[in-house]
Amino acid sequence: MAQLELIHISKSFNEMTAVQDFNLAVEAGEFISFLGPSGCGKTTTLRMVAGFEIPTSGVIQLDGMDLTPLPPNRRNMGMVFQSYALFPNMTAAQNVGYGLRVAGKPRVEIEQRVIEMLDLIQMHDFAERYPNQLSGGQQQRLALARALAIKPRVLLLDEPLSALDAKIRLELRQEIRRIQRQLGITTIYVTHDQEEALSLSDRIVIMRRGVIEQVGTPQQIYNFPASDFVAEFVGHINLLPVEVVQADAGVVRLGSQVVRAGQFGHLNGRPVRLAVRPEELKAGSVEGANNLTGMIESVTYLGAIVRIRVDVDGQLVSLDMFNERSLEIPVVGQPFHVNFPVEACWLTNGVKN
Amino acid sequence: MKKKNNPWAIFWAVLAMLYFFVPMLGTFIFSLRMKRGVLSFLAYQSVLSDANFLRSFRYSATMGVVTVIVSVVLLLPSVYWIYIKAPKMKPVMEIISILPFVIPVIVLVFGLIRTFGRPPFQLTLSSFGTDVLIAAGYVIISMPYMYRAIDVGMRSMDVRTLTEAAQNLGSNWFQVLTLVILPNLRIAILSGALICFATVMGELILGDFLVRPALGSYMAGVGRSKAYEPAALAIISYGLTWLCLGLIQYFSRGRSQQQLTGR
Amino acid sequence: MIAGQNKRIHGKGQAGWKTWIGLLPFFLFITFFLVMPSLTLFSGAFQDAEGRFTLANFSFLENTFALKSYLTSIWVSLTTSLIGGIFGFFVAYATTSSRAPRWMSNILSTFSGLAANFGGVPLAFAFIATLGRTGFITALLKGVCFNGADGAAICPFNPYDHGFNLYSAAGLILAYTYFQFPLMVLTITPALEGLKKEWSEASANLGSNSAQYWRYVALPVLLPSLLGATILLFGNAFGAYATAQALTGGSIYLVTIMIGQQIRGDVLGNPNEGYALAFGMVIIMSLTIVLYILLQRKTARWLKL
Repeated sequence: MAQLELIHISKSFNEMTAVQDFNLAVEAGEFISFLGPSGCGKTTTLRMVAGFEIPTSGVIQLDGMDLTPLPPNRRNMGMVFQSYALFPNMTAAQNVGYGLRVAGKPRVEIEQRVIEMLDLIQMHDFAERYPNQLSGGQQQRLALARALAIKPRVLLLDEPLSALDAKIRLELRQEIRRIQRQLGITTIYVTHDQEEALSLSDRIVIMRRGVIEQVGTPQQIYNFPASDFVAEFVGHINLLPVEVVQADAGVVRLGSQVVRAGQFGHLNGRPVRLAVRPEELKAGSVEGANNLTGMIESVTYLGAIVRIRVDVDGQLVSLDMFNERSLEIPVVGQPFHVNFPVEACWLTNGVKN
Repeated sequence: MKKKNNPWAIFWAVLAMLYFFVPMLGTFIFSLRMKRGVLSFLAYQSVLSDANFLRSFRYSATMGVVTVIVSVVLLLPSVYWIYIKAPKMKPVMEIISILPFVIPVIVLVFGLIRTFGRPPFQLTLSSFGTDVLIAAGYVIISMPYMYRAIDVGMRSMDVRTLTEAAQNLGSNWFQVLTLVILPNLRIAILSGALICFATVMGELILGDFLVRPALGSYMAGVGRSKAYEPAALAIISYGLTWLCLGLIQYFSRGRSQQQLTGR
Repeated sequence: MIAGQNKRIHGKGQAGWKTWIGLLPFFLFITFFLVMPSLTLFSGAFQDAEGRFTLANFSFLENTFALKSYLTSIWVSLTTSLIGGIFGFFVAYATTSSRAPRWMSNILSTFSGLAANFGGVPLAFAFIATLGRTGFITALLKGVCFNGADGAAICPFNPYDHGFNLYSAAGLILAYTYFQFPLMVLTITPALEGLKKEWSEASANLGSNSAQYWRYVALPVLLPSLLGATILLFGNAFGAYATAQALTGGSIYLVTIMIGQQIRGDVLGNPNEGYALAFGMVIIMSLTIVLYILLQRKTARWLKL
């Protein structure tokens, strides 16, 4: 049985629907990310789990018990906030010990637990510092330790890294994953950063306008997006308008050039587009693959990769090449050949599969 | 997100509103009772037709304007200077700006009289000299408010960059101050000025002890001799404070409130 | 352009007279009209009539009359700053975070601005007109019947027959509260608004109830602001003169009233003793500020880096 279950959860503020019919079963020890653009309802859903918002309808169950009537302070869920929300008047150690202190735990037990937690986040040297004497990254690690100190049944993280610098973000991301694995704690992680979601999660929930678009492992989400929205939101993708040549074989025409798609549904009526990730495209022509010819429109050098846009009969096609020292960067305006395997692309007509 | 109103909050809010309104309402009704048996504006007529009231009102209003001008001329360049040239002096300025709080008005006026009422100054011998002394006192009393208004205004704009931009375009110090800084500080100076003005209008001690016909002394005199006119004066005074605050609010919509006078 | 940059480097590098010159008019003014008068009083406080150094002027501390005025002033200021402070805190609490209906909050914040600035003589007039012997409320109460302790109806009810007197310290406290609590509302509201919603949420999330949140988080965070506001209120009342003078006609002996009478006619019989009295006020105000700074340093260690 799943540890945490959200069953037909809906939430509306006045007339506005924030979350609609949200269903999810989270297994014990699982790391789940809620990913979506701002305003998609991911934070609201998290806050309903924490008890700060009350669902308009639906039930939240933890180990089969209904949580809905419980106030936040009796749910035993550890939450980490985007703004850290550390208590400014308490030292690092006092912050970590706060949950145990208000629970009336004996002093010795609190001290032990605080040391244990500070060791976990490698901040034992900072026990007597106040939050404003710590860097953003340290503060957020402390907030994590504080949330974990009460041995919560579920760990909730609300965009914990978005206030931090890129480099610290990367470090802390790995640390969160390490600690989560070490403790085996069920975790819900809200983010708008797809890279965080892809790198951290066991499963990702993609949300849009209060509705779940897709639930799946990072690979499922990235390689087999359930909708155009998911395909475009996670990673880069070419979505090229095409003309259907042979509907039952997935053969289409891009401008004047014929392409065969590996996956296609019922292409009834609506305009059809060819979807293929830029990294699937290679320079040159290959027998048996899809081949396109066009003119180089622009070249963007990004360090590790080089993004090239090719004008194929009026459509812009992006392809990513890995950088090498010996790489000859193509010149704008020159003719260019690209190829990609049939299995790498699919056809979509905008209807959710 | 609709929150339920907290019953305790409503209790305190209602209590506070009673504290505000009961004396106000009581005073207003009392002020209408000069004529036995009927409600009338007789007390107001009596006050407004009193030549002494008009004289003291005019005197205090004039002093108010003088105080505002002196305050601005004195403080604006100084605060600007601190922002541009001597940021290290800011703590000193902050301390000076709370001095009038440490030295109560009654102590200040005592010192002013004993210092300038004797040789070599002997300012209190002529009424003009006394007025100079009073105006100086008003400037000191209202300094914390004027300083804070200007300081807040300067902080909200990037004085240094603006100055450098103006200099870069070829203006001299005076032009920077009058063409760039002053227009951007209009609202801050205006609210500071209204605070100054209201302070002067409500002030009792300086006018009373230096024996000049200020509004405060006039009111105190009426309070000693009449029954209903003081109530009418209180309402008029309410109205005046209200007007100053209303103007500040109007000119600085959305900004934070400020306290007007010291007592 | 280059000249402008040079000026800046000069201004920063040379800390000497050049940084002072722009402030000269201001400092001259302050010296003349604030520092010199204060020094006159301070030096006078330590001199006898012939200008010799003495501590005799402070013998008023043995004079029960003058000493009592200090005690009365401190008592009135302390009481009104505590009553006004606590009341004002609750009102500010009610008006933030939409705890009370919005229209109430709007009225209260507007009137706090008004009432905090409404003092002096007119305030005394307002209270006399409302609660004085013939005041509006007094007159109303005289028409109301009350059941006395023995069950007998008391009619009419005159509060002045039951221990109330506006022209006393109690009346003064009542009147001062009219400007004290709104001043508290104005000064503490920004601090209350500075309490982050996330703190209370984090606290609840960690299992605390609302009383624990206030005890361990909100009040400690607010403490420096609360202290500062209370000190401001104390000074506000301590230096007040006009309201007391107009309300009681000088029959209540506050230090300010004593000094006023000393300016007018040397009631102490020794001009230098008046200086000592005024000097004492400044000392008390300075001590208050120092106390405040010390307390703030202690309670707000976490504020500083």
